[in-house]
Amino acid sequence: MKTTCKSIMLVEDDQVDTMTVRRALKELHVTNPLQHLENGEEALSYLRNPANPQPCLILLDLNMPIMGGIEFLQIAKKDEALKGIPVVVLTTSEEQEDKVESFQLGVAGYMRKPVDYPNFVEMIRTIDAYWTISELPQ
Amino acid sequence: MLLIYGKSGIYKRIRSPLSWRIGASRGFKNNDGLLGYRGKDLVKGLAEKDPRWLFDSAADAMFIAGPDGRLLFANRAFETLFGYATEELSGLSVESLIPPRFRQTHLTQRAQYAEHPASRVMGAGIELYGLRKDGSEFAADVSLSPLEDGLVLTAVHDITRRKRAEEALAEQSARLRAIVDTAVDAIITIDERGMIDSFNPAAERLFGYTPAEVQGKNVSLLMPAPYHEEHDGYLQHYRDTGEKRIIGIGREVVAQRKDGTTFPIELAVSEMRVGGRRLFTGLVHDITQRKQAEARQEKLIRELEGANEELKNFAYVVSHDLKAPLRAIGSLADWLVADQAAKLDDEGREYLRLITQRVRRLDGLIDGILQYSRVGRIRETLAEVDLNQLLREVIDLLAPPAHIAITVAGALPTIKTEKTRIQQVFQNLLSNAIKYLDKPQGEIRVDCTDAGEDWEFSVRDNGPGIEVRHHKRIFQLFQTLAPRDKVESTGVGLALVKKIVEMYGGRIWLESKPGEGSTFFFTLPKGVAITIGES
Repeated sequence: MKTTCKSIMLVEDDQVDTMTVRRALKELHVTNPLQHLENGEEALSYLRNPANPQPCLILLDLNMPIMGGIEFLQIAKKDEALKGIPVVVLTTSEEQEDKVESFQLGVAGYMRKPVDYPNFVEMIRTIDAYWTISELPQ
Repeated sequence: MLLIYGKSGIYKRIRSPLSWRIGASRGFKNNDGLLGYRGKDLVKGLAEKDPRWLFDSAADAMFIAGPDGRLLFANRAFETLFGYATEELSGLSVESLIPPRFRQTHLTQRAQYAEHPASRVMGAGIELYGLRKDGSEFAADVSLSPLEDGLVLTAVHDITRRKRAEEALAEQSARLRAIVDTAVDAIITIDERGMIDSFNPAAERLFGYTPAEVQGKNVSLLMPAPYHEEHDGYLQHYRDTGEKRIIGIGREVVAQRKDGTTFPIELAVSEMRVGGRRLFTGLVHDITQRKQAEARQEKLIRELEGANEELKNFAYVVSHDLKAPLRAIGSLADWLVADQAAKLDDEGREYLRLITQRVRRLDGLIDGILQYSRVGRIRETLAEVDLNQLLREVIDLLAPPAHIAITVAGALPTIKTEKTRIQQVFQNLLSNAIKYLDKPQGEIRVDCTDAGEDWEFSVRDNGPGIEVRHHKRIFQLFQTLAPRDKVESTGVGLALVKKIVEMYGGRIWLESKPGEGSTFFFTLPKGVAITIGES
């Protein structure tokens, strides 16, 4: 991940999935701080608080209580201040409609969470590698 | 030669070119008024030309009988109608011209008539019958004109045809009445003002009123509010504008019985004019049962839709909610191995390995369920699929080990279908063949033959083969023959293949010799793309 990038936001309700992401990032020596929010609504209010620094990447789960990932995208991608932040969906859903809708809402990637941890690490490694090379909007 | 004698008793001798049918000796008594001839004129007329032509040209049978009831004269039409020859007429009695059952009465009547002779015109309302010489009867209208000296001129008109027409008419009207009376549907006629004119038995049963109770009453009493109040206005509107809302169209409305309960009906109204009156006929069909059946059906469909929706959600929930905890278990087991390795003994590590393996298996099962449920639920766009190309792709993807050779025989057809589905079919059949191959030199062959309306495909291997008793079982969901710990299999593959093939209207089966190998066959109708596209 670019070192210019301040933080990564993880929107995820599952505790173990959160642990998995944290552990994988640590294992891969990704030093960017991780900002964890439990659902779309929390994420929106965090992002809209001027006191909080904007993340350079959002890892977004789809199936969450209160406000799911798709609903979050529908709101965030209409928000001038937020729509520029790249979002990578991290989900279990293989549903075609979820994929189509996510990309229509302008996500930068759509990843299926692998069932075993080593594969999960590989997935995070790829994300990290990509966003280390890719330029980010300022 | 004919002798005519009048009141005066003077005989006239008449020479005639025509012969009288009744014996000349019996003569013809003139009554001076006959046929408007004065006695002299008649005689004169007869002298000039026999007046018989007048009688003979009449269409009706005519005869003159004396006081004794014996025929004195008869015309040609009489002979034709009654079937007598000229020479048989002499002495024939009037009674012999009517059926025996009327004779006695006739004698009396004739006696009374002789006392009070009067003209009687035809069709005076009495049913009379004539008797022919051959014994057959016919309906007749008879007119009597008294002549002088007790002579009576009788004209007989055969009314058989009219009678038949009348009977046919009566029968037809009886039949029509019977139709109305026995109709299953209520038939109600009303006049222009909406007053009930007729009410058939079915209407009686349906509404609970007797005809007497409703005749002359406003038909709106058979309707619940608001139709009840609106009907007069509706009729008025129709009278004024001719605009039809129900007449000639028919629709479903609600009717009301005498006891106030309502029920759904199908009402068809037609307009008719009878004898200058405008009447409306309402045909009322009770559709209570149909409505109930419809409601039941709607409920069933709603339930079915609900169940279908639930199933769809179920698949979705399965993919999200079952997998998340499963993944967590997998990760945690993994971390235990990674972080706590020093604290675990071999047994502990083995347990954790088994946990991870079961997690993967369950993950595979869930994927299988999802895959299986997607077939038929999610439609792909149809495309021309070149099966030669598809097979190459599938074989590349499966990357069979070096000791297994896959050959594709001849040229495979190009079919219009859903590519993913047909790919799943070949992929599963081939991967099964590869997975279970137990020979040092594996041989798998894909073939296709033209079976008329179908394409028949086959995938043959020289693997372990499958006993006949298992041939049914292997196509069922989650059924496997090898223990899962030996060969990782979800038991979804063949069930999926069967579901896809059958969805396309094809069949799947296998032939196998245990130890030597198996051949899986499946057919696809050549016209398959069209039916699927339309469904």
